[in-house]
Amino acid sequence: MTDLIFNVFILLTIIPCFWVALSSNIVHAAFSLLITLFGIAGLYVLLGADFIGVIQVIVYIGGILVLIIFGVMMTQRGKLLPLSIQLPGKLFGAVLTGVILAALLLSATRTLWPVAAVLGEPQLTSAAIGDLLLGKYLIPFEIASVLLLAALIGAVLIARRSVRGE
Amino acid sequence: MLPDHLLSWMIFFPLLGAGLILFVPKRYPTVMKGIALAATIPPLWWAANLYVQFDRWGTGFQYVEKVPWIRAFNIHYYLGIDGISVPMVLLTALLSFICIIASWNINEHVRGYFALFLLLDTSMKGVFCALDFFMFYVFWELMLLPMYFLIGIWGGPRKEYAAIKFFLFTLVGSVLMLVVMLVFYFGSVEPATGLHSFDLTILADQSVHQAFLRSHTIRWLCYLGLFIGFAIKIPLVPFHTWLPDAHVEAPTAISVILAGILLKMGTYGILRISYPLLPDMAREFALFAATLGLISIIYGALCAMAQTDLKKLIAYSSISHMGFVMLGMSVFSNTTAINGAVLQMFNHGTVTAMLFLLVGVIYDRAHIRDIDSFGGLAKTMPVYAGYTGLAFFAALGLPGLSSFISEALVLVGSFQQYKIITITATTGIILTAAYFLWTMQRVFLGPQNKKWADLPEISLREAFTLTPLALIVVLLGFYPMPVLDLIGATLKHTVAMVVG
Amino acid sequence: MIPENFIQSNLQGISFIGPELILTLAILLILLVGVLLPYWRHRILFTILAVAGLAGSVLPLWKLPQPAPDLTYLSNLFVWDWLTFLSKPFFAVVGVLTILLTQVTGEIDNSEYSECTILVLAVTMGMMLLVASTDLLMIYLAFETMGILSYLLVGIRARDERSGEAALKYVLYGAFTSGTMLFGFSLLFGLAGSTDLLAISQKVAFASQHPQDRLLLIVAILFFLAGLLFKTASFPFHFWCPDVYEGAPTPITAFLSVGPKAAGFVLFIRLFYPLFATGHDATIYEAVSGLDWPSILALVSAITMTLGNLAAIHQNNLKRLLAYSSIAHAGYLLMGIVSLSDLGLRSVVFYLVVYLFMNVGAFAVVAMVASAGGSEEIDSYRGLGARAPYVCVAMAIFLFSLIGLPPFAGFVGKVYLFAAVIYKKIYWLAVVAALNTVISLYYYLRIVKAMFLEKPTETIQIQVPLSSRVLLLALLVPTLGLGIYWQPLARVVSGMF
Repeated sequence: MTDLIFNVFILLTIIPCFWVALSSNIVHAAFSLLITLFGIAGLYVLLGADFIGVIQVIVYIGGILVLIIFGVMMTQRGKLLPLSIQLPGKLFGAVLTGVILAALLLSATRTLWPVAAVLGEPQLTSAAIGDLLLGKYLIPFEIASVLLLAALIGAVLIARRSVRGE
Repeated sequence: MLPDHLLSWMIFFPLLGAGLILFVPKRYPTVMKGIALAATIPPLWWAANLYVQFDRWGTGFQYVEKVPWIRAFNIHYYLGIDGISVPMVLLTALLSFICIIASWNINEHVRGYFALFLLLDTSMKGVFCALDFFMFYVFWELMLLPMYFLIGIWGGPRKEYAAIKFFLFTLVGSVLMLVVMLVFYFGSVEPATGLHSFDLTILADQSVHQAFLRSHTIRWLCYLGLFIGFAIKIPLVPFHTWLPDAHVEAPTAISVILAGILLKMGTYGILRISYPLLPDMAREFALFAATLGLISIIYGALCAMAQTDLKKLIAYSSISHMGFVMLGMSVFSNTTAINGAVLQMFNHGTVTAMLFLLVGVIYDRAHIRDIDSFGGLAKTMPVYAGYTGLAFFAALGLPGLSSFISEALVLVGSFQQYKIITITATTGIILTAAYFLWTMQRVFLGPQNKKWADLPEISLREAFTLTPLALIVVLLGFYPMPVLDLIGATLKHTVAMVVG
Repeated sequence: MIPENFIQSNLQGISFIGPELILTLAILLILLVGVLLPYWRHRILFTILAVAGLAGSVLPLWKLPQPAPDLTYLSNLFVWDWLTFLSKPFFAVVGVLTILLTQVTGEIDNSEYSECTILVLAVTMGMMLLVASTDLLMIYLAFETMGILSYLLVGIRARDERSGEAALKYVLYGAFTSGTMLFGFSLLFGLAGSTDLLAISQKVAFASQHPQDRLLLIVAILFFLAGLLFKTASFPFHFWCPDVYEGAPTPITAFLSVGPKAAGFVLFIRLFYPLFATGHDATIYEAVSGLDWPSILALVSAITMTLGNLAAIHQNNLKRLLAYSSIAHAGYLLMGIVSLSDLGLRSVVFYLVVYLFMNVGAFAVVAMVASAGGSEEIDSYRGLGARAPYVCVAMAIFLFSLIGLPPFAGFVGKVYLFAAVIYKKIYWLAVVAALNTVISLYYYLRIVKAMFLEKPTETIQIQVPLSSRVLLLALLVPTLGLGIYWQPLARVVSGMF
């Protein structure tokens, strides 16, 4: 049963990815991304990472993606300019992708991963994460806030510029 | 009365002058020239004293100064001179002094010219006195900077091309030397301290070489690297193509320095570094080096014959003459040839300096150097013709003048080891005689060219620069012992070391 | 319920991140001044605040205990060794020089100036954290702090399309490569079940014995390289470099070329030496068996320097030219990493210090000439030597130092790097680097030639203010001084490893 759900989420994650990359309609691409992100959230939940799964839905789907879609719909619609990549470039890309994919698949299957058996119900993680964020990872947490602050300032600067530019 | 640390004073005194020149206001160019001249006189005096006081029988280094410089790399500030360095230092001091006088007519960017010239002076003396490989390398490279600007700013029409070509060629050689230097550093362990060393006297001791530095391939490659570096400087054919360009475009005084001193650094480097550090390879490369020397002799002479530009002619004659040095240095079966080679280094320094100064004189007046456009100048400028005649005869090796002795020594010595090469090299002398005499005829004899009939005679200042050189040429032609005395003991030691 | 020991650990470790705290304080102060005192928005005020913050950030260092290789703090997230200790003043100097350069050249508009200083301080903080991190999570956070904020810095100049384009390119390449690196991190995390480098290194040493695990390690190494080679602008992730360097404001370019690049190299040392190398004896390391990454890097190094130097020959824009030169220098620096020895590590650090002064110096001159009425094109340097001798002599010295000619500091740096590879008997790389030096001579000399050997095509008088001259002097002194007597710095770097 779990395997079936797992496979469904996998397909939900991967198939729309092709749409994102290949579609020439940006709205379609954005909506496909939504499904992919949802699939990833499902995978998190299946792995027992309830907190991350929920955050994934709230932040990525609820926040970022909606913003992207708004942005897309409010600015420009219609066909994207087709990228003009020459055949040698495409070929090179395909070969490189193939090699990396093969290497990843091989290493994923061959490696002796240290696997711990999970017993019984998965535990809720939010409390543990909270402990870590205020304990071991307090300083990184604060550093991330400095990063966000500085990034915010930079973003304001760039936004201010484009407003003034009009 | 001599100061302590004589060599340091001699090396860095010009640099002090250069520093002083930077603070002279722009409107006093003569003051700058005066300072430059003043900065070259004490070193000349000290060099002369050095010459007198140098112990001719000692084989070790004299006037040694050694203080740690960079402990992390075991680099020392290490100066000292032996019989090979003394004539070179003397030549450098003399030519620097003369060249400052010869540069008196420089009126463009005076400050830069004389400051750079003095920097060049410092680095040249440094090369001849350094006994630490690292220091040698620093001075060796330091020379490139002023030279680049001196050719590039004050040179002739194609100065930019000539300057960069000079720089690129020399740098190829020196980066190879850098790699070899580091290989030697890591390949040696100073027995007293257990540290790696750049000390040339220690590196010359074959027993400090580590196992990997004993491998034939490494040694062979190291020697090749050094040899290319020095051969570019000498320059041996086929590494010579920078030389004609640099000589032709450089201002007179710089041509003098280039031909008179810089070329000697190549052969000096071989004597100071290649031979002591890799004596076995020196033997192995001897025939190759002698062959390149021969090729340079013949090729240089043939090219000189084809030139119409006086400066180019002298440039090619330099290649030919330096070929004799290389040939003489490649002989280890006797000390005659190598003595002749070092004497030739000194003699070529004086003779070529005269030649370039003389070309400078005529170029300043006529603004061309085309051999065929002159004619009958002997009538217009008899004194000038006299000086030129002396220089030409000296250059072509007329008995009684200095080059004859050195070339004869080289040929006599090398005949014992390389019969065919030596016999072929003699044709070089004939060719040299041919092109110098032919040039002489075209410039000074024959019908007077009316266009140049009223060229002024050589000035007192110009004569003053030429006279000391002329005296040396004549003196050493009759009695070469003043130089041979100096170098004999050291060279005997060198040959003994190479032969092993 | 937070475990007691974490509170303890955080309280004890807080003093070790004193520099970062002071920088954060300075950031907040600048922000407040900018918001609360709108009439005080003078450049000089922000400059003073920022420089004071950077200078103040190194003060706590002397109050802290002696660094030691195994002294970790904040729950093993950071390590307090000599590399950490000395990197902090290094990055503070990078920050100070950048701020001063923006101040004297006036390249950034007044309206953006306070934000610019904030971003520079924040990136500096990120770099300081990065070099101290020994935990994959912290490394990535610091890496992105440095990365994201430098994208913003590149695009900071308003009304300049080039700046925006450069920023976008930087973001795209940066996001791709750091994402790849993160994937590599996740692979190692999966293998070791920990983000702590020490724990991972034990697992890697163990896993490398098993052939079936080796592929994963190779993939991880290659993915790490993506992020690191990007930050250091090395082949094959160097394409962004010329465009970004050209488009960014010149002081920011100077900042990028020494700051994040240096941080990238320190990260190289932090990641590759503990994880994929084992200490053979005290001075030599060996690559973990079965993973011959030094050979790959040696090849990358040779290609990077050759590519950078060859491409630089054709550039007419000085910033582009210096960008390619900076690629070439990344290639030289990789030689130190490749040599897998203490000497190699020392040579990297030594070269970075030297490179800081000479490269910022070269960019400073470009910025000064551009702001004094010239341009960034090589044409506007024709005959400049006669019109602005001081600046041009300084430029010549920086360029000669970049070539690696004595008696300038760049020469000593190169000797260090050459020594490192020759020490490990990688002779071919030394010869390639030596020949590259000759190639590089050609294009650096093009600038020198334009300045001194050619006649001016225009007669604009270049006036360089006194403040710029003083800044140049401050850069010249170490460039010359370290070339003549570098024993003090040699002692410092010898003590590090």
